[in-house]
Amino acid sequence: MARARSRIAGAVSVFGELLITAGVLMGLFVAYSLWWTNVLADREAGRQGDKVRDAWTAKTPSGPGALDTDGGLGFLHVPAMDDGEVLVRKGTDPETLNGGVAGYYTDPVASAQPKDAKGNFTLAAHRDGHGAKFHNIHKLRTGDAIVFETRDTWYVYKVYKTLPETSKYNVDVLQPVPRESGRTKPGRYITLTTCTPVYTSDYRYIVWGELERTEKVDGDRTPPAELRAS
Amino acid sequence: MYGWIWRHLPGNSWVRALISLVLALAVVYVLFQYVFPWAEPLLPFNDVTVDGQ
Repeated sequence: MARARSRIAGAVSVFGELLITAGVLMGLFVAYSLWWTNVLADREAGRQGDKVRDAWTAKTPSGPGALDTDGGLGFLHVPAMDDGEVLVRKGTDPETLNGGVAGYYTDPVASAQPKDAKGNFTLAAHRDGHGAKFHNIHKLRTGDAIVFETRDTWYVYKVYKTLPETSKYNVDVLQPVPRESGRTKPGRYITLTTCTPVYTSDYRYIVWGELERTEKVDGDRTPPAELRAS
Repeated sequence: MYGWIWRHLPGNSWVRALISLVLALAVVYVLFQYVFPWAEPLLPFNDVTVDGQ
């Protein structure tokens, strides 16, 4: 009798310990997702960003429009998101995005480049973890500035439409003319995509902007007025 | 389970506590370095792109 009871007690206590272990595991996973991946990604993005800036200052212009897509082609500045500068690299596969950058789409709809006369510059970045570069995308309002910095040019876009929730299969948001945003004519657009709601990825959050003007980068890399205000 | 591990560690309580701490840190290291990076893409928390599939 006493032995049977102690065996039951033993089984119950092992079960309890397993539950506690599972809880601690989940807690650790949350810490990993929301904190540790940010540490890694910010470190990596900082390193890559420095490399790009070094290359910009070191290299004499090598031919017209020479594009270095290897290390990244520029930096995204979004004052309303308050996340500092975001390095932009080619591709939206997890390995690229986990480096704490925004990636431009190559698939399913290839992105245009900002320097192109017409087209849609389409970007994706993480909402949480891995740098969480688009975490504050919900703070963007119509009229807010999205500035893209390349070696020679500041591209100043203005947000004209946000789509807080859409299906992850909705690739039409990436079209060269994003009709869903209400535009019907070719132009120079920018599209930001990330997941929503925060901490999950049931849907996608979309922000569209249109190029307002470009500014030549001067010797001191003076940022455009939109970035000086903040 | 943990009691069993504790009883099988050598040394007095202090040594056992120290070994336990080292073991726990080793487990956390393995989780962060290998297990979580493997598990993360399998869980539906962080897909940010739109795609047709």
